[in-house]
Amino acid sequence: MYQIVTGPLLWLTFAVFFGGLAWRVYTYIKGLDWKLDRVAYGTQTAAGIRGAARSIAAWIVPFGSQGWKVKPIFTIMFFTFHIGLVVVPLFLVGHAVVFKMRFGIGLPTIPMALADVLTVAMLCAGVFIIIRRIALPEVRIITSLYDYLLLAITMAPFVTGFMVVHQLGGDYQFWLLAHVITGEIMLLAVPFTKLFHVVGFFLSRGQLGMDYGIKRGGLTGSPMTW
Amino acid sequence: MPEGILCNKTPVTTQEALEAVLADKGGKQYYAEMLELEVDKAKLATSLKNTCKSRIRTWLEMCAHCGLCADSCFLYLCNDRKPEQVPAYKIQSTLGEIVKRNGDVDNAFMRNAMEVAWSQCTCCNRCGQYCPYGIDMGIMFGYLRGLLYSQGFVPWELKIGAGMHRVFKAQMNVTDEDWTETCEWMAEEAQDEWPGLEIPIDKENADIMYTVNAREPKHYPEDISEAAILFHVAGENWTVPSSGWEQTSLSLFAGDWEACKQQVEHVYAAIDRLKPKRACGTECGHAHRATVIEGPYWAGRPDGLTPVRFLHYVEWLEEALRLGKIKIDPAKRIKQPVTLQDSCNYIRNYGLKEITRSIVSYLVEPGYFVEMSPNKEHNYCCGGGGGFNGMGIFRPQRNRALMVKRDQILATGCKLVIAPCHNCWDAIRDLEEEFKIGIKWSFLKPLVIHMMEVPEHLKPKEEEE
Repeated sequence: MYQIVTGPLLWLTFAVFFGGLAWRVYTYIKGLDWKLDRVAYGTQTAAGIRGAARSIAAWIVPFGSQGWKVKPIFTIMFFTFHIGLVVVPLFLVGHAVVFKMRFGIGLPTIPMALADVLTVAMLCAGVFIIIRRIALPEVRIITSLYDYLLLAITMAPFVTGFMVVHQLGGDYQFWLLAHVITGEIMLLAVPFTKLFHVVGFFLSRGQLGMDYGIKRGGLTGSPMTW
Repeated sequence: MPEGILCNKTPVTTQEALEAVLADKGGKQYYAEMLELEVDKAKLATSLKNTCKSRIRTWLEMCAHCGLCADSCFLYLCNDRKPEQVPAYKIQSTLGEIVKRNGDVDNAFMRNAMEVAWSQCTCCNRCGQYCPYGIDMGIMFGYLRGLLYSQGFVPWELKIGAGMHRVFKAQMNVTDEDWTETCEWMAEEAQDEWPGLEIPIDKENADIMYTVNAREPKHYPEDISEAAILFHVAGENWTVPSSGWEQTSLSLFAGDWEACKQQVEHVYAAIDRLKPKRACGTECGHAHRATVIEGPYWAGRPDGLTPVRFLHYVEWLEEALRLGKIKIDPAKRIKQPVTLQDSCNYIRNYGLKEITRSIVSYLVEPGYFVEMSPNKEHNYCCGGGGGFNGMGIFRPQRNRALMVKRDQILATGCKLVIAPCHNCWDAIRDLEEEFKIGIKWSFLKPLVIHMMEVPEHLKPKEEEE
């Protein structure tokens, strides 16, 4: 079983993950229509790219935009959640070891203590996000089961991974298997759910940045302070 | 009854049809007919297929339901933070459902969607600034308005407004003859005080072609003479077109894209005919949006630009002040606390925040200008944008919406508000009427005329001793 989920199934997962995201990027860009969107993507491209870069930069940096500044607690939770989510799987020693073994490729790693801190912080932020969804009426009204399901899918590999690393919960083999499978479920879910914001954030934020950069003042007025 | 006599899917294109809808005072029959209006589901599905592309579909699909847009929406804030006023909820429960059901929605759904689209969003676009993904619900509501309009679900006044543009090429029944007569009359009246003043009509190759809001010839002709006085004093080589002078677009508020296209092409045709070096519009927000920001796209111009550089009035005025074409008498500068209304349409959505502040620096004695909070591109809508000022059935909602601007103004402690936008000007007038907070409000033109230095050679001869 372990051989399958870390062998062919893993390959399949990566193929679907990267292929799916590439498809998302392709269909998004293909579906942009300068006349319907009323943004001259094709002729004012330089101004558009400038606008897109400004828009993305303001939002990818903690407190880089007005929107982040007015919600400091959520901003901290949001970035804690996302930094843990991206950094831990990519730079975990355990993952690097498997990678080296399988593919002969060495990856940079972070100290285990840091990975632990990031994982626990990410899970705490996730719990905060869940409580926030329930507690705030303005968030509750737009929340559906789907949103909780996605949080579960996202947090499961981190819960199971933590169990594995610290050999908690008794049955090590079970937690290892559970970790690999939940990790694969998450990666598989990305292209098919709104988790595709892995690329969608850049596309959508970039698009609005182009809109402002080209049409809404970028060519003549002062640039937007996001 | 699938289609009403007045309330139907057919745009108003003739004067008779226009008069029939107008005669239905307050839209009584119109709204009664709307209760029975059938939804053409097949047509709606086709519209979605042809016009709802990756940008909007991605916005609808990807929304993380984080609720960060809530506080960005002034209508959420002034409606006791009702969750139903959260922008994400408003758009997901209307356009989101239409897309999800691929147009399979009924009359009651569409009437509710109409109420949300025109009374719970002014298309100020502020939410897009506060969404991590940049989901601009103002744009989506604009799109939704187009779908609703094509199905006949549009507030009575906007059906008329769009019809006016189609019939008169103006938002009000002002003909080209009415317009040129008003210009001649205004020029004559002003000549007593301003010898040599002219309102040149259809002058070719002028430096500036000036366009207006139809309510100026209709209700506020002094606005036209004020513009003429300022061009005169600045020594500008300017003109107005006899046709294509109307820059506004109630069809933009209505979601009547065909009428939008016709209207803006009419203005561009005047530019082609008169070949001015530049054009300039009046102190209006949505007129600029319609003619300069969205207009090039409606007209199918691939570069997204107007045929010649098209200034907002504040851009022309700032330039005139900066170049010394108009000089302000320092003794007459404003010496009372004064604040400035940032119009969504050309501040947030056209980046002219520094231009208006530069003007303020000429007009206001240092120390007397007070910024609203928030301000510049983050300012709140006046409360009357997107057509909100003009719809009878949504008047109570509109009046409530004015509370945010009222409180912003009160917080500045100012008794004077500079409002260089017709819509904002109206909303601020109405909020004073509604809440009596003891403020005055003004366009820029009358302020500048009052405080500028008039060169000797432009003064009337009899004043000479």
